[in-house]
Amino acid sequence: MAQKSYRQAINEALHAEMARDPNVILMGEDLTGGAGGSGVQDAWGGPFGVTRGLLGAYGPERVRDTPISEAAFIGAAAGAALTGLRPVAEIMFIDFLGVCFDQIMNQAAKFRYMFGGRARTPLVIRATYGAGTRAGSQHTQALHPILTHIPGLKVVMPSTPYDAKGLLIQAIRDDDPVMFLEHKMLYDMVGEVPDRSYTIPFAEARVVRDGKDVLLIGLGRMAHIAEAAAEELARNGISACVIDPRTTSPLDVETLVEFAEKIGRVVIVDEANPRCSVAADISAILCEQCFDALKGPIRMVTAPHTPVPYAPNLEDAYIPSAARVVEAAQSLLRTR
Amino acid sequence: MSKIEAVTVPKWGMTMTEGTIVTWLVQEGDVISKGDEIVEIETSKLTNVVESTAAGTLRRIVLAEGVTAPVGALAAVVADPAATEEELEAFIASYASRAGAGGEDADVPTARKVEVDGAAVNFLSLGADEGPVAILLHGFGGDLGTWMFNQDDLAAELRTVAIDLPGHGGSAPTRNTDAFAGAVAAVLGVIETLGTDRVHLVGHSFGGGVAAAVARALGDRAATVSLIAPIGLGPQMAGDFLTDFIAADRRRPLQKVLERLVADPGKITAEMVEGTLSFKRLEEVPEALTQIAAAIADGNRQRRDIRGDLAALRCPVQLIWGAQDQILPVPSEVLGSARLITLEGAGHMPQMEASGSVNRELLTLIRSAG
Repeated sequence: MAQKSYRQAINEALHAEMARDPNVILMGEDLTGGAGGSGVQDAWGGPFGVTRGLLGAYGPERVRDTPISEAAFIGAAAGAALTGLRPVAEIMFIDFLGVCFDQIMNQAAKFRYMFGGRARTPLVIRATYGAGTRAGSQHTQALHPILTHIPGLKVVMPSTPYDAKGLLIQAIRDDDPVMFLEHKMLYDMVGEVPDRSYTIPFAEARVVRDGKDVLLIGLGRMAHIAEAAAEELARNGISACVIDPRTTSPLDVETLVEFAEKIGRVVIVDEANPRCSVAADISAILCEQCFDALKGPIRMVTAPHTPVPYAPNLEDAYIPSAARVVEAAQSLLRTR
Repeated sequence: MSKIEAVTVPKWGMTMTEGTIVTWLVQEGDVISKGDEIVEIETSKLTNVVESTAAGTLRRIVLAEGVTAPVGALAAVVADPAATEEELEAFIASYASRAGAGGEDADVPTARKVEVDGAAVNFLSLGADEGPVAILLHGFGGDLGTWMFNQDDLAAELRTVAIDLPGHGGSAPTRNTDAFAGAVAAVLGVIETLGTDRVHLVGHSFGGGVAAAVARALGDRAATVSLIAPIGLGPQMAGDFLTDFIAADRRRPLQKVLERLVADPGKITAEMVEGTLSFKRLEEVPEALTQIAAAIADGNRQRRDIRGDLAALRCPVQLIWGAQDQILPVPSEVLGSARLITLEGAGHMPQMEASGSVNRELLTLIRSAG
């Protein structure tokens, strides 16, 4: 099977869906670059090289560079979705959510409910998230908990190139607003990605690796940190199961409960701040649904409750590490 | 110096790079013979049992349960009791440096494609470059990886070609409206590119039915036919397996469906389920599978009868069946001169669940025909 990067996988999904459905359009800042000027367009393929080649293939009507005003173009995309198009809008950094949140939370997420089920909003908002790029507190957050909290939004966090393509195609074909979150540190990750189109249903967790002593649940990029921890644990004779929920809303509660009940020891790894987070949410769900099967407290390995630091050594310390996951798993195994 | 032998992590199929020790079936100090089942190792598809190629006392287990190690890594040491601890240590140390220096995967075999009637057919050749060839045909919903525990053993003695049937693995769906005829044509098309006049056919389930038809079409070029739980030898089958397999689009239901294929459900790994799902999710695959399922069964009644094909064959024929097959029942009567081998502890996939026995039976028949 063909080896492709996470970036290529997303590009391929956009290509395939734009070719398949003329209602699919793209909107965002610097998607093509150079719009309105006399310079070269699509020189970079967007700020992260994800939209390369789409302008040439589908033209400026369908690949639209927007002014630097998230409120305006996210609102325009929500309206376009409501009136029949399938827009894929791009927020360059999820940190910019703050300036367009009304359009997402009060408008797009509410249309279906407030129009009595008669409105469809097939909108995808792609956004990058995550620390590790030395980009400071305002360009590195992991804000999926805020989005997961809002009914009416679906929230997707692919961790592999294969998942990125299948989940993005699913997101574009979905009739509700979907937040599609891409971790900047994963763009160069390479993996097997079929050339043909495919979809991965939402609320379908991936069992990354089976195991019997401890369950490691890793969200987004943290699935890889959990996997690295599982390898280290195996060297010490501890068999760790790793699960990547893939989507935080809807959440595959069935699979998480099934494995938590079977294994009894749970560590949740999340790059977001710990308070009111998806990690805290999963922990609460498991406590409520399978308390009797638990052999110890559920452990969360998360960022501290601080902004993302700019100092490189502090930024590295901020991100959950495999060593911290190993430590949390071993502490659970010591309890009994 | 005493005789010291290594038990290593085997390579089952071209994609296997590492294996995880699940359970040791023998303990340090146990005396073992060649062919004894000694350890269960989990791969990307299924958990399989390693049979010892050495005889003696299991002196040292090097890889503990739960440990994942690369193909070729030293898992245990077998030696006669006379071997000293120092000799064992030296052997383990020398093995570590040998395994590390290897680069043994430099020459990974890759599958190839040929066009048959305008559609690509994917296949993997292993073993000799010419001479008699064993053609391996998987069942409904499978792919050439079905033979991961078999193809290497056969390839040690002759040329082998495992084919992805149309609509499966890397092969495009057939353009023939008759899915069965399309599969037979695809296999004959691949055989024509091989330039051989002696063909040993091995087919599993739906692929068994295809193998019988291909053998009949080949006439005297068919040297032996080994059918593993083939379709078409009785009126009944568990037809809901086909529809449930197609309908299952998530891990939990698919796991239940795949568990029906084996005698021991614990052998179905999470990776096997994920791998099957990623195949089933590809566009056009559900349609192709639906077409093939319709060619196999109508409800619980089989649509095909391969007894006519078998009666027309002049070469040796054997049938291999898992005693716990829940998909196609073991036939009550054997046909003509065909030999029926029933394997205990295996379900519908004996080539995976009882690979050692299946490989022996396949090679015995192939050798006997020369």
